[in-house]
Amino acid sequence: MSSEPRLEVRSLSAAWGSNEVLTDVSLSVQPGEFVVLMGPNGSGKTTLLRTIAGFEWPTRGAVRLDGRDVTALPPHRRGIGILFQEPALFPGRSVWENIAYGLELARRPDAEVQQQVAALSQLLDLDGLLKRAPEALSGGERQRVALARTLAPGPSIVLLDEPFASVDPERRAGLRAAFRAALRRLGVAAIHVTHDREEGLFLGDRVVLLLSGRVVQSGPPMQVYRNPSSPEAASFLGYNVLQEGGRLVAVDPRDIELRPPGEGIAAEVEASGSTAEGSSIMLRLLTGTRLEARVSGERPPVGAGQTVAVRWSRSVALDGAGRTRG
Amino acid sequence: MAGDRQSVRRVGPFDRDLLGVLPVLGFVAAVTLLPVALLFATGTLDVGGMAGVGRILEDPVNVRAIENSLTEGGASALAAVAVGYPSGVFLGRTRVPGRPLLLSTLLVPFLLPTVAVAFGVVEIFGPGGFVSAAVPALGVLGSGFGGIVLANVVFNAPVVVLLTVVGVESAPTDLEETVRSLGGGPVEAFRTVWGRPSLLGALAGGLITFLFSALAFAGPILIGGAPWYTLEARVYFLAQTLAEGPQAAVLAMLTVALLAPATILYVWVASRLRSGASLPRAGPPRFDRRSPAAWVLGSWTGFSVAAVGALLALVVYRGLAPSPQGGFAQSFAELFTQRVSLLLGLSTTSAVANTVAFAALSSLSALLLALTAAHYLSRRPRAQRAVAAVAFAPLLISPIVLSFALAEFVRPALGGESAAPLLIILSQATLALPFALQAIGLTLSRTSPAPGEAARALGASAWQAYLDVELPSIRSGLRAAALFAFALGLGEFTSTNFLANVPSTTLSVELYHLQSVRLAGPADAVAALLVLVSLAVFGAVALWGEGRTDVL
Repeated sequence: MSSEPRLEVRSLSAAWGSNEVLTDVSLSVQPGEFVVLMGPNGSGKTTLLRTIAGFEWPTRGAVRLDGRDVTALPPHRRGIGILFQEPALFPGRSVWENIAYGLELARRPDAEVQQQVAALSQLLDLDGLLKRAPEALSGGERQRVALARTLAPGPSIVLLDEPFASVDPERRAGLRAAFRAALRRLGVAAIHVTHDREEGLFLGDRVVLLLSGRVVQSGPPMQVYRNPSSPEAASFLGYNVLQEGGRLVAVDPRDIELRPPGEGIAAEVEASGSTAEGSSIMLRLLTGTRLEARVSGERPPVGAGQTVAVRWSRSVALDGAGRTRG
Repeated sequence: MAGDRQSVRRVGPFDRDLLGVLPVLGFVAAVTLLPVALLFATGTLDVGGMAGVGRILEDPVNVRAIENSLTEGGASALAAVAVGYPSGVFLGRTRVPGRPLLLSTLLVPFLLPTVAVAFGVVEIFGPGGFVSAAVPALGVLGSGFGGIVLANVVFNAPVVVLLTVVGVESAPTDLEETVRSLGGGPVEAFRTVWGRPSLLGALAGGLITFLFSALAFAGPILIGGAPWYTLEARVYFLAQTLAEGPQAAVLAMLTVALLAPATILYVWVASRLRSGASLPRAGPPRFDRRSPAAWVLGSWTGFSVAAVGALLALVVYRGLAPSPQGGFAQSFAELFTQRVSLLLGLSTTSAVANTVAFAALSSLSALLLALTAAHYLSRRPRAQRAVAAVAFAPLLISPIVLSFALAEFVRPALGGESAAPLLIILSQATLALPFALQAIGLTLSRTSPAPGEAARALGASAWQAYLDVELPSIRSGLRAAALFAFALGLGEFTSTNFLANVPSTTLSVELYHLQSVRLAGPADAVAALLVLVSLAVFGAVALWGEGRTDVL
């Protein structure tokens, strides 16, 4: 049995002047589903989110929420929560007042406001901060307050526009987990926008890949990651895109093996260095194609200027069929 | 020796910077503060001290001038805010085609010569005017109180629009979108996010309208006549016509004291407004065809722009229109005849040359002074308030008070009547200084010091880094400041009229004389010429000043 989608975007197009930034975008989000919208900078992710929220108007297409067409409704009548890169907390209002703001606008009874603020502050670990001013909070605390404020009125869906971009890297993972847990616990559907591959693959029940204003791929995170459908999608997902036997293939940097000269395709090492997960080696084939190899070990086994041979154990054909050669 | 070197190093940089700002402080002190202080002191002594001041303040004609200043200023401010605020809200919050051009054209009326606009109001709405002849009911806008307020609104409503736009744009877009996504409607978004900054902008616009209107000179003289003289006009009349110097000096002192609170409040409100200014993230939203409010505000904006444009077009048309005596632009031809030269004592060509030369030299002086002061202010945050107070002091001094003080105390020292051109240049430079300082200071404050520091790290001397990196990076502010000061000089009438003798007559003074002797055709032509020249300068501001409008 298929339930009615919480959100449905149908053939949506949007433009800035004569420049079309979204072309025929369709996607749906089921109740409680966490969809990650991934794509490079300038691919139209934020415009899509703002159009869904009602801050931009589409040139074509429709936005439906719980089966209702909301395309013509102003933002405050849609019941969609949105969280921006910056927390945008109201200055001059305490944390409690910020969280309660939407409830008070909706004229909810005082008891319900108290109860909802208490529940959300407990869920997002804000109990000790309720009397504080926004200026007295850290970046991560501010974003947690902003999420609590967004969730308080009980939106049908929450749109998260790169909410961790302005948070310190060391706090990002914890905050990511807290957000995901809170949304899952409340069963709220969400669209999370990011250009960070790791974040997208970690968070999403489903990933939607948006490139140049078009949805090019959609599905469970690992399925999308394992089967890039085009050279552009493969590049965005971190694959090397190469010619193999007269056709284009995508090769995962971790699937590239370094061999002594003569045991594969000759390549020159351009640069090498250590990363948190091992070593990264940038290579150049005789054809001029550049590719990256990732190998285990703290120290790279080769240095710049050395000649090696490369082989790969697995590649994905980029002819649209998504075949994998292993 | 080591100790000596250390102390030299510690004190040195401060001394060098202070040397840089000394010319500005010296200029303002010598050209404004000292002469004005002397004017007030001698005026008070000459009328017999405070008892004499009291008598002057009891004179019904002077009381009337005070009342006129306050009522004309107040009514003009209210009218300008009523006209300008809705348009400011519309332009600040709506992306419409041509918005950047429209925003940059808003300074056009402000740059217009006051005398040309006042003349235009009389010609169009006055007795037998172009419009009032067809619609007699509109004659109320061509004389007396109504005409003066109309002229003030034409000048200042666009400034209210501009400052309201600054206020609206300073409201964070994401905060407003958060309010909307949480269920708040347009009224809630106004109340919580953008209402306050937009009203702050309107307040700044209202205050500057009040100040310019309370100190209006051309309007009350040309449109209203003696019953509607402001303090500015009354001081001029006492000093120039009745030769009542001491009484005029006391009234001048009263003018400064009366308007000082509003001036200080304006400077404070404007600084609050700009401190909150931020670039909108994605610009305002597009025009919402479904919103009745957007249609009402848009229509009002269109009507206001069309009304001001029509007024200017009519002034130009009057100057170019075929006259009964001749063909197209006959009035222009007449302007350059022997008859007009004999009447004025110099040719119109000489008046044009004077106008351009004075404006060019005064804008250059204001630019150099403002550049020095702004540079010092950007490097010495702790000294900013003190130096800014001195550099902005000319805002407190009205053009008549300034020119009166210059005529009384500087002219004799510079050789009497022959010093008129120099005095005109000094007064125009003084009046333009705060605006030039504002434009350059804001640009400097928004410029990253990193490129200059990178140049220094690469081996450039402080002077080289300044010339190669810092100066080019503020060129939009420099151009805006120079062109704005030039435009102010071109149309400056009040102080120029006070200081000019026959050989130093400018176009605005010529227009006043031609209007006084009822030489309608040539007067129309001068008004049209002034408007066209100002529009040309505006075009240069828009093209080369990169649309800079932050000089107020």
